[in-house]
Amino acid sequence: MNRTTSMKTWTMALATAVIGFSACNKAPEPATPLAPEVPATSTTLAQLLDSPDSSFTFLRAAVVRAGLLATLQNTGVRLTVFAPDNDAFIASGIPNRTVINSLPVATVNALVNYHVIPQIIRSTSIPTTFPNFQYPVNINPNPAASPFLRLTSYPSRRSNGAWVNNIPITATDIPAANGIVHKVSRLLSPPSAFLWNQITTDPRLVLLRAAIDRADQDPTAPGFLANVLGNNPNVAIGANFTVFAPDTTAFKNTLSFLSAGALNPTMPNAVFAGFIGTLPITTVKGIVVYHVLGARAFSNNLPPTATNVRTLLNSSIASHPGVGVQATLVNVPGFGLAAATATVKGAANPTAANVTTPDLHFINGTMHIINQVLLPQ
Amino acid sequence: MRRSISYLMALFLSSVLTIAAYAQNNVVNGSIQNAITGEKVAAVSVTVKGADQGTFSDDKGNFRLSTSQKYPVTLIVSSIGFEQQEVSVSTAGQVVAVSLKPANALGQEVVVSATKVATKILESPVSIERVSTAQIRNAPAATYYDMLRGLKGVDFTTSSLTFQTPTTRGFNGSGALRVNQIVDGMDNQAPGLNFSVGSIVGLSELDVDNMELLPGASSALYGPGGMNGTILINSKNPFKHQGLSFQVKAGMMNADSRYREKSAYHNWSVRWAKKVNDKLAFKINTEIIAAKDWLGYDDRNYLRAGTTGQIIPGNRATDPNYDGVNVYGDETTTDIRSAVFPGLANAAPFLRNFLDTLNGGRAMNVSRTGYREDQVVNPNTYNYKISGAVHYKINERIEAVFAGFWGTGNTVYTGSERYSLRGLKMGQYKLELNHKNWMVRAYTTQENAGESYNATVTTRLLNEAWKPSGGSTGWFAQYTQAYVNARLNGSPDAAAHTLARSVADVGRPVAGSADFRRIFDRVRSVPISQGGGLFVDKTDLYAVEGQYNLTHLTGGFAEILVGANFRRFVLNSEGTLFADSAGAIGINEYGGYVQASRKFFGDILKFTVSGRYDKNQNFKGRFTPRATALIKVKENNNIRLSFQTAYRFPSTQQQWIDLGIGSNTRLLGGVEFFNQKYQLSTRPTYLLSGLPGNTRQFQFPEFKPESVSTFELGYKGLLFGDKLLIDAYGYFGQYQDFITRTLVIQPFSGNVADVTNALANNINVSNVGNIYSVPFNSPSKVKTFGFGIGLDYRLPRNFVAGFNLSSDELRDVPPGFISFFSTPQYRTNFSISNTAFGYKKRMGFTVNWRWQDSFFYESDFTNAVVPAIHTVDAQISYRIPATRSMLKLGANNLLNQYYTNGAGNAIIGGLYYVSFAYNVF
Repeated sequence: MNRTTSMKTWTMALATAVIGFSACNKAPEPATPLAPEVPATSTTLAQLLDSPDSSFTFLRAAVVRAGLLATLQNTGVRLTVFAPDNDAFIASGIPNRTVINSLPVATVNALVNYHVIPQIIRSTSIPTTFPNFQYPVNINPNPAASPFLRLTSYPSRRSNGAWVNNIPITATDIPAANGIVHKVSRLLSPPSAFLWNQITTDPRLVLLRAAIDRADQDPTAPGFLANVLGNNPNVAIGANFTVFAPDTTAFKNTLSFLSAGALNPTMPNAVFAGFIGTLPITTVKGIVVYHVLGARAFSNNLPPTATNVRTLLNSSIASHPGVGVQATLVNVPGFGLAAATATVKGAANPTAANVTTPDLHFINGTMHIINQVLLPQ
Repeated sequence: MRRSISYLMALFLSSVLTIAAYAQNNVVNGSIQNAITGEKVAAVSVTVKGADQGTFSDDKGNFRLSTSQKYPVTLIVSSIGFEQQEVSVSTAGQVVAVSLKPANALGQEVVVSATKVATKILESPVSIERVSTAQIRNAPAATYYDMLRGLKGVDFTTSSLTFQTPTTRGFNGSGALRVNQIVDGMDNQAPGLNFSVGSIVGLSELDVDNMELLPGASSALYGPGGMNGTILINSKNPFKHQGLSFQVKAGMMNADSRYREKSAYHNWSVRWAKKVNDKLAFKINTEIIAAKDWLGYDDRNYLRAGTTGQIIPGNRATDPNYDGVNVYGDETTTDIRSAVFPGLANAAPFLRNFLDTLNGGRAMNVSRTGYREDQVVNPNTYNYKISGAVHYKINERIEAVFAGFWGTGNTVYTGSERYSLRGLKMGQYKLELNHKNWMVRAYTTQENAGESYNATVTTRLLNEAWKPSGGSTGWFAQYTQAYVNARLNGSPDAAAHTLARSVADVGRPVAGSADFRRIFDRVRSVPISQGGGLFVDKTDLYAVEGQYNLTHLTGGFAEILVGANFRRFVLNSEGTLFADSAGAIGINEYGGYVQASRKFFGDILKFTVSGRYDKNQNFKGRFTPRATALIKVKENNNIRLSFQTAYRFPSTQQQWIDLGIGSNTRLLGGVEFFNQKYQLSTRPTYLLSGLPGNTRQFQFPEFKPESVSTFELGYKGLLFGDKLLIDAYGYFGQYQDFITRTLVIQPFSGNVADVTNALANNINVSNVGNIYSVPFNSPSKVKTFGFGIGLDYRLPRNFVAGFNLSSDELRDVPPGFISFFSTPQYRTNFSISNTAFGYKKRMGFTVNWRWQDSFFYESDFTNAVVPAIHTVDAQISYRIPATRSMLKLGANNLLNQYYTNGAGNAIIGGLYYVSFAYNVF
């Protein structure tokens, strides 16, 4: 081999080596997409309702009647379903699927949707704080007013159990590809009325009504309490209260005591109503708002030992201790943990008032009828 | 005048000066040709032995020399690349025909910059690299500036086709501040923007005589700066290089249309030099480069925290807070959970719990939709240069030079953001007197940023101009409403974000549409100070310098050189970049140096010491010493030892910048003025990196120049019958008072708890306070080590093989310290070339393979790993002796392997060209 040839060979070899080395530059790689969240299961919410033990056939019928099967089949959504099984339907007064199918579609739709929260809420993320969390459900009561308007439900959890509103959750965290299911022991009923409807129609609450009317004569805020309680739905729709509603007997007893003998409990309601109309507006208003909490507490949300919580009175007297609330929970077979007794005590009351009718549920709050007027001072 | 030769001549002439005479003039005519090829040889030095007359052959190889010597006259004919010859002329009227034998010898170049005195490169006492015209001719590089890349120890950061920043021994970056670039004796730094613009406003290719590179610390002779090297580029003297020459290059880029459509590359240049008579010569040069630029196309997701950050997973479709590296406008980000949800919860209290628990209660950062770099940066890069010089020999010893260089262009620079330098203009003008013993030079640099804008800021403002981010109907409000609405309807998080973005982006101007251009052009033409993206910069530099070589007086004892300089910067950004809204800011700097060298033990040891003192009005004066020793082991084999220091006054921006970069963040200079203006020491201000632990009041530190000291040991020599040239070095350097930046925060409320709370809750701290980026001197000393070895082997038949390997490494970096070292640990070049082979030895070729290691690139713009890079450059050429022309087919990045050498900078592919050059030999 002569020199030139060897040189050529060498150059070729070099060029080959160079090309070999060179074939591996890395320009910046394209951005890597984040891995999409992969559900642990491929079973959809709709498929869960077809469970082998057939315990959800009533709910499935309701879902079909409501036209919501497609929603529960949609893998592009994430929902929490509080699912009543067949027993829960029966216990709630719906004995069979025929009844379901005879109800108006709109009614069933609202009923089913009230059990659905558009977000995955695992049992561990249900808060244990007083009273509960307010979550929007799939029902907009007035789309014309605002696209964000939603009816709400109230999951809560304590060390011994969990509820949505006052209905116990009996099984938690059944996973689905597009959501999660918690079983409940009764049907939840979507509220359709306002607190004000109850106050104005329940004969036990005529004196409460009279007190609110007197308080609303406040010239700086005429009609305010009635409006937020539901006299004006546009104002009330976003509100969220707990009203401890003293019945007429409670009012009569308290007013008789306050009137220093001028009145006695045997007198008719009208006399007491008239008397309320003579009391100072501020006093009456102070007493009325002292019966209202700014959040919705169901009886099962009340703490096991008496605990002071703030009332609306705190918005004008910030340092006021509030009312002391307490409930004793017992396990009711076939239902779950429920409040056997619930009490609320005013700061100036010698004893706590008993809740005689708990958990009346409205769009803008819950109501517990009690047997004493709560006195702030 | 080509300086190396002028100094050589000066030295030579100085030894015979005494023979001045009033003798009668004889004229000698002659021509010079290549003994092998018969081609005429231009620019050959012809001097009369024993007299001070000399001339150069013109572009046709002819010379005419008048001498006062009597016949017979001996002419010394010499040129780099040829063996020197002495020719005797015995009678008047004899036409001398000289045949020069090519001397393919290695290591014969003469360098000036190492000691400011012409020295054989083999005898340089410090490391030095040199690029000659002949090498430029034979290089594959598309522009001469690219050739620096093949030198050992050199790294490039390429921000644009026409914006390349060379650095040595670490601390790479676009527009690196620590390298001095001196073009024809003038500091080439854009005085306001601080980067050197050698590749934009430097010499045009046909006018480059040589480039010299001093790696590492080199302040002692060249003044502040030069901590990481000094590059000197010298132009051709019109007395020596005469005639009309031109070069046309036409090429192609983006050959595979991967990032941008296939596009053309044009590079045309013309040089005309004329020696009017023995006293007067002039030259005119112009060059234009036009192409579609390389693009920053890194769309990886960047988690930004002030001026640092990291690459994270995610893209626009999957990360609502996506912030692409080279995607602009998406830096605008808000935690909608803390910024928009509360308003929504007040309007819809029944949603409060729901909103509070969305995203598990964590911050929900959302960024606006950005635009890619190719959508907001002018794709056309062009570079137009024009320069001219008049040389006048006042007498045989003094040559006056008046020269002007002017350039303009579109290019892209990467600072803390990417800047589209659009219509950037810079002019440099000098008046210089050169004597064999002294030199005086006055020059000015006139900068004008033209229509340059910050791509990031401008695109963010474009978004704001189209739809404001804030407010109850702003982009984030629309986004949040759509997002919440989607969540209320059961959408999962990711789908809700996607839907929300599509809702908020309805009507977003499509990149390139008339609407887009209208808004974008409006925003970019409004100065930053008035809420736009335009930065105005008309900063100027005025400089005077002089040097005197006392050797003719002190030669018996030592060679002594003294020099001094004065500079004045006039910062003028009309309040857009500097704190100069009240008027231009002046900065004065002056300095002086002295160098003495002496030989000991005959020629065995040459010892040189130099010292330099500099003072800047804003900083304490600084003394910079240097000592070098050269030990001659045997002829053409030398060991060099040096101790060098360098230091750098903070750049004009590091002194006076006052620039809001969005999100309540502002870059400040380090002069005391800013301490007063922003009450940094008096209002509650905290070091952001110290929080939440350290809640001590920030104290504005004294701002000092940074410095480096370097020890170097090297060897350069010829071995194996002068066929192998070895150059090796090892160095150790220590940096101190490193200039870096840190973030401080001034809580709006004055309460540091706001900041610690924000930090704890993952809320953007710029929502609770003003952030200032303040320059300061790091108390940490960092050390660098490195070595380099270069081998050039002369093979038979004109083949030359070259190899070099160099390494730089940073040590003792304290944890958490951002050094901006950004340098591969190893890099090598391997080349094989031939300048004369094939048909009548008219062909030439070069193949160069370069490899550099992977490294972590740190900059204010992006921190990320830069993968290893291999590139192959090649050219093959054919000479046409009749017209002294050359045809060349060349390729840079022959295999079109895209790479980036600085994270977030341009992605570079292959550039292929053909060129025709006329009269370039």
